Amino acid sequence: MIAAGSVQIEEVLLALKIAFLILLYLFIWRIVRTARREVSEPQVSADDSMLLTPEQARELRLAAAKKIGKLVVVKSPALDEESELPLDSVGLTVGRDGENDIPLPGDTFASAEHARFDPRGDGVWLEDVGSTNGTYVNGVKLKRPKRLEPGDIVKIGETDFRFER
Amino acid sequence: MTLIAVGALTAVGFASVYIARQSVISAASLSYAGVFLGLYLLAHIVARVTVPHADPYLLPMAGLLTAVGVTEIYRLDPTDAFRQGMWIVIGVALFSLTLFILRRDYRRLEGYRYLFGLGAVALLALPALPGIGATINGARLWVKLGPLQFQPGELAKIMLIIFLAGYLREKREVLAQGRLKDFGPLLVIWGCAMLVLVETKDLGSALLFFGIFLVMLYVATSRLLFVGIGLALFLVGAVAVYELVSRVRDRVTIWLHPWTEHAVYCAQSGKLDLRQNCASYQLTKSLYSIANGHYGGTGLGKGTFTTTDGGALIPYLNTDFIYSALAQELGLIGVSALVMVFMLFVMRGFRISLLASDGFSKLVAVGLTFGFALQTFIIVGGILRIIPLTGITLPFVSYGGSSVVSNFVLLAGLMLVSNRANALRGVE
Repeated sequence: MIAAGSVQIEEVLLALKIAFLILLYLFIWRIVRTARREVSEPQVSADDSMLLTPEQARELRLAAAKKIGKLVVVKSPALDEESELPLDSVGLTVGRDGENDIPLPGDTFASAEHARFDPRGDGVWLEDVGSTNGTYVNGVKLKRPKRLEPGDIVKIGETDFRFER
Repeated sequence: MTLIAVGALTAVGFASVYIARQSVISAASLSYAGVFLGLYLLAHIVARVTVPHADPYLLPMAGLLTAVGVTEIYRLDPTDAFRQGMWIVIGVALFSLTLFILRRDYRRLEGYRYLFGLGAVALLALPALPGIGATINGARLWVKLGPLQFQPGELAKIMLIIFLAGYLREKREVLAQGRLKDFGPLLVIWGCAMLVLVETKDLGSALLFFGIFLVMLYVATSRLLFVGIGLALFLVGAVAVYELVSRVRDRVTIWLHPWTEHAVYCAQSGKLDLRQNCASYQLTKSLYSIANGHYGGTGLGKGTFTTTDGGALIPYLNTDFIYSALAQELGLIGVSALVMVFMLFVMRGFRISLLASDGFSKLVAVGLTFGFALQTFIIVGGILRIIPLTGITLPFVSYGGSSVVSNFVLLAGLMLVSNRANALRGVE
């Protein structure tokens, strides 16, 4: 009797063990299956995996090496405050339109194409490219291109930038 | 479906333990499975209400790991399982609370980043304070308040990740340029944390924190150079620690040569003895335990964990060494499945980070997920002799209150990020 009983218990335990393992793998299979489905979904690009793409990081490094300067956002309805926009030798266009290097989508006072930062041999020049409400440097409306000094506050629409080296 | 799987697994597990160990355990054991399932359901409902768009598999995976853990802990010692159960209750409560408070926008935490950074350092320093700090097993990382004792380091890990995410998002551009002065505040908080960790001799955590730091820095700036410098610094530090701290030297010796053919000096007993009977006793017994499991395992409740005279065969079996207990009872097939669940959890976590739309969310998700992955690697790798062994818990599975609670908070964090990312993408 006792021997028969223990054999039964052994069988039950074996069945339970197999059931446990099968359930474990079913669970895994279920999750892996959804993961396979997600592969066919519109993919996030590899660039999204980092906060900065490798190209951006390289540009930042080069810009730092050249010491051309940068723009710091003082206040803006469109950009993060205190975020920094490095200037490289190519120059940057600013405006409400998404085509600009610095787009200001939420800034209703900015024109679609508003102004341009233009690094030249003697420094960074700011030029208004035909905006409706004008571009201001330290509160003074810009009439012709002006060379920026470190610390200058540039107002475009409702966005203020500070120029720094 | 996943709900049924977790429930059935818990029931089968407890039933198996009960039948195999009838002489030791009462029939009440099956009620554990019921209580556990109830808790899991509760967490599930809270998650459905507060974060309806969150990744639907994170909670089931965490539930499964917790279920396997609590089953094995119950099998080893029913009173420990009861205490673990209480900690799971607290964990689920904090999980729900975190989800509820931050369900609208967790990103306001970013505004308190420096507070989180200082909080993390303060928590890490707590055990070093006289009076409430306590040294257990050679590492001073416990805080004792009356009958309660916990490891603040586990929670500090999450706070530090929030600090790093906030700080790195804000400064990623200047950091990518690599000017040293921009690293100032980062290095100060960083140095404090590492100093405290080395002071408390908690090497596993030091390694974990350093790894999280490097990965988050890399994700924020895309500069491999930083990872290179970090790894070089780590190597220098590791060699220095090896030369200076005898405990570390012992760990490496145990790792490389756990068995000796001739008697060597044994520090514990002060006599000459084979190393496998002395310093590496725990590791070698654990390796035998894993080997004893073969492919299919002995079955839950039927493994051998006591010596012939009834003593525990492997010290700290249910915390640091729970993996080897599971390897014996579930076999290679079973623990491979367990490791796969960990891998899937990490995969889901990184996916959440990919989908997240803003830098802070990305960094939080990467930090939490990588911390989870690295912690699992450090302990499982240590047990399997891939790296030197350092005592640290296996997330969700090991016995240990602070670990269970903080991992549930980590889970809540990932689900919050996932919820926001999916809601913005317009995915159910």
